[in-house]
Amino acid sequence: MAHQKKNRNVGIIGIGQTKHSSHREDVNQPELIHEAVSLALKDADLTMKEINCVVHGNMELFEMVHSPDLWHVLGTGAYGKDSIRITTGGTVGATLSCASDNLVASGMYDIVMAIGFEKLQEGHTTGGITNMADPLWFRKIQAGALTGSSAYDVEREFGLERANRASLTYRIIMDKHAGLNPNAHRAFGLDFNQIDDLIRTSPKLVGELKLIEMCSQSDGACCVIFACEKKAKELAKTPVWIRDHITAHKEETFNIFGYNRAFPVMKTHKFAAKQLFERNGIKDPLNYFDVFEMYDPASWWAIDWIRDFFALKGDEHLKLVENKEIMIGGKMPINPSGGVIGSNPIGATALIRVAEAALQVRGNAGPHQIPTPVNHALASGFGGTMWTVMTMLEKDLNW
Amino acid sequence: MTKIQMNGYEDSYVIEGKMALPYTYFAGRVGSKFITTIRDQKKIMGVKCPACNMVYLPPRQVCDKDFTDIRDKWVEVSNTGTVVNFTVVRYDDKHLPRKAPFVLALIKLDGADTPFMHILEECTIENVKIGMNVEAVFAKETTNTILDIDHFKPAAERLSVHEINAARKQWVPADEPDTQEKRRGGRPDMSKPVIITAALTGAATMRNQNPSVPYKPEEFAEEAYKCWKAGAAMVHAHAREDGGMTTHDHGRIKATFDAIKDRCPDLIVNLSSAVGMGVTPEQRISQIVAIKPDMASLNTNTMNFGIVERKTGKIFIDYVFENTFTMLQDFGKAMEENGVKPEIECYDIGGLDNTLLIGKQGIFSDPMNFNFVWGVAGGQAFRSEAFIAMMNALPAKANFTTCGVGTDQYPCIMQSCILGGHMRVGLEDNTRMPNGALAKGSYEQVEVAVSIANALGRPVATTAEARLIMGLRKR
Repeated sequence: MAHQKKNRNVGIIGIGQTKHSSHREDVNQPELIHEAVSLALKDADLTMKEINCVVHGNMELFEMVHSPDLWHVLGTGAYGKDSIRITTGGTVGATLSCASDNLVASGMYDIVMAIGFEKLQEGHTTGGITNMADPLWFRKIQAGALTGSSAYDVEREFGLERANRASLTYRIIMDKHAGLNPNAHRAFGLDFNQIDDLIRTSPKLVGELKLIEMCSQSDGACCVIFACEKKAKELAKTPVWIRDHITAHKEETFNIFGYNRAFPVMKTHKFAAKQLFERNGIKDPLNYFDVFEMYDPASWWAIDWIRDFFALKGDEHLKLVENKEIMIGGKMPINPSGGVIGSNPIGATALIRVAEAALQVRGNAGPHQIPTPVNHALASGFGGTMWTVMTMLEKDLNW
Repeated sequence: MTKIQMNGYEDSYVIEGKMALPYTYFAGRVGSKFITTIRDQKKIMGVKCPACNMVYLPPRQVCDKDFTDIRDKWVEVSNTGTVVNFTVVRYDDKHLPRKAPFVLALIKLDGADTPFMHILEECTIENVKIGMNVEAVFAKETTNTILDIDHFKPAAERLSVHEINAARKQWVPADEPDTQEKRRGGRPDMSKPVIITAALTGAATMRNQNPSVPYKPEEFAEEAYKCWKAGAAMVHAHAREDGGMTTHDHGRIKATFDAIKDRCPDLIVNLSSAVGMGVTPEQRISQIVAIKPDMASLNTNTMNFGIVERKTGKIFIDYVFENTFTMLQDFGKAMEENGVKPEIECYDIGGLDNTLLIGKQGIFSDPMNFNFVWGVAGGQAFRSEAFIAMMNALPAKANFTTCGVGTDQYPCIMQSCILGGHMRVGLEDNTRMPNGALAKGSYEQVEVAVSIANALGRPVATTAEARLIMGLRKR
């Protein structure tokens, strides 16, 4: 992919998140956003005066409100400022981060604020998402982002029992992580000895995809402040540097019934990761990165995608999960925040991946901070029919 | 889904779809209190930003202009307001609250700065006008929505100053006994009408301080009309060039004067004999003689007239405003000879004494009309005891009005009204309202003066009464 060196370095200098929840009757949309914006400004010790540009993002039509960025000025603080709206589906949060990085790197703005939000309690996710696929061929057989194709794949390759146990192990690790993260929406207090019960009792949605394995539907907002190298060094004690980001798109559909092994659907993760690591000279990503905040909409997808992201062979990815190497304290901690399964305010979700990865690099993520030093962090976004955004964060400007 | 095939496109499929998009709307705590207060107390509440004074209705948690958190800055606004815009809904649809045709109006409630939309009923569509007064009709049964205000209906028009004046007995000179004696005791005749003057421009107030300052003749005319409508009997004007510079050009001053007179023939127009810096005495008085306005300002002493920062004392503009005895004498004579009544400007009690001294020549006709000016950098600041000393030094038949620069404005006019004097307001003297917000024009300050008069029970003088009181020539 055509790619040139950045015009100037960009660092993350402020991070704010709401507590994610399914019940935010006490606030309207701009008020919810205002919570995250205020926290990010406080974190960066800035006021709105210093912000040059606001980048706003959420899912198209999920709250059934047209042009929400206009109304949301009440919470974003974008009054009289340059303001851009981005809506790229599930990846929107990650695209917010990419766009903000580019806006600062280009020299257009010194300080840019990215805001992702969703208030799913107000809207009708399926109503909005059903609009995305080709209405003639596929609308009848796709139900939003819900598919069982990964479960089907993993099950065929490794057998039903091992596949099911790996998926549930991943799910319970995420629950344990979410239990440590005060902002996480769902933490049930699950334990590994419940795996068999859950396999038996959790309602099946599509194929082996069970309710317990799906992400939540959350209300929440996330705000991240980006600054050029000069400002970041002036303003922040520990700016987190954005080394690179990549976006890979592909037209696809969730045609699970017509699924053909000769044309596997999920390929953008593998493609994006390969390009990103190659151009940054990273030969062994599993050893290079200290933490990975992955957009994991369901545990089946998550276990399958680990192989794609890290270019693993055979059942290496399942072993990482089975040996709990993805837990805080393991070889490659994945989603110390609890991930998307823990909290999923969709327009914010992928930005939360970047924010949580940056918090891990800063070393002040809170109770879910991993115990070993974090110098290199990876974040991914997923969305749409199938596309990928990846972001690499660094503690030091030394690459 | 159904298949539609259009003529000529039999080989092309078009699919008709329909999506149901259910949603809920969360009002939040702030929005909820707005609704529940209407429901439970029949009160309409907004929030006021302490940083910029905006009263938002419907309320919001954050002021978008300055990002101040205003969630608990509740203020009650009136149930009545003004239509600022409206539309006629002429089609029926399920989501609409009434059967078409009906009127949706943007209504700015009294006390609020932002309008909100509601249904306007109980009047024919043809009679709906921008600017009409309306009042809220609360719903009999709650729906827990904004429709707990069922609709708005036309409100009884508030009587204007002019309607009130038309209904009362007109003042005649015989109504006033020896006022100076009464005044001395601080017991003026409160039934005597109070003359409100609006000083539209002055020589120093520019649009960067208040965008409502008029520059062009037609802008003067419009602003003067609004002031008259609000209750002013007189305007005081310094003509400006299109770019805002002061001018002594006879043509421009005449055009400005004529524009005001064409728009409001009744209104008393008071021009300035101090048209700006760097003009000769001849240039100052010749335009008055040429145009012969009803009144003109006459300045009484040579003084510093500068621009000095109030907090620090730092001098921005140092200027000596020259008004020699000869000028006082010559200007006074020229005005009296041309039927122009002087408004005698006193920036301190010395100016008053100067006038009495030179006036011994018999220049000035009764009643003399004095204006006590407060707060000029170079003149005295407003003090109530200084005000009383000046009032007590006036000749027996004299009238007095007053004006104050900046924050002196409202206290000094209120004192004048209490003591039986008259009131001058306007952007020349002050760009702001009592709450610190920029005035939308001099007329808004006239409204404040009217409310002071109302509070004290003094009638607001009509232009005819003002002419009688001040001894001006008839129209």
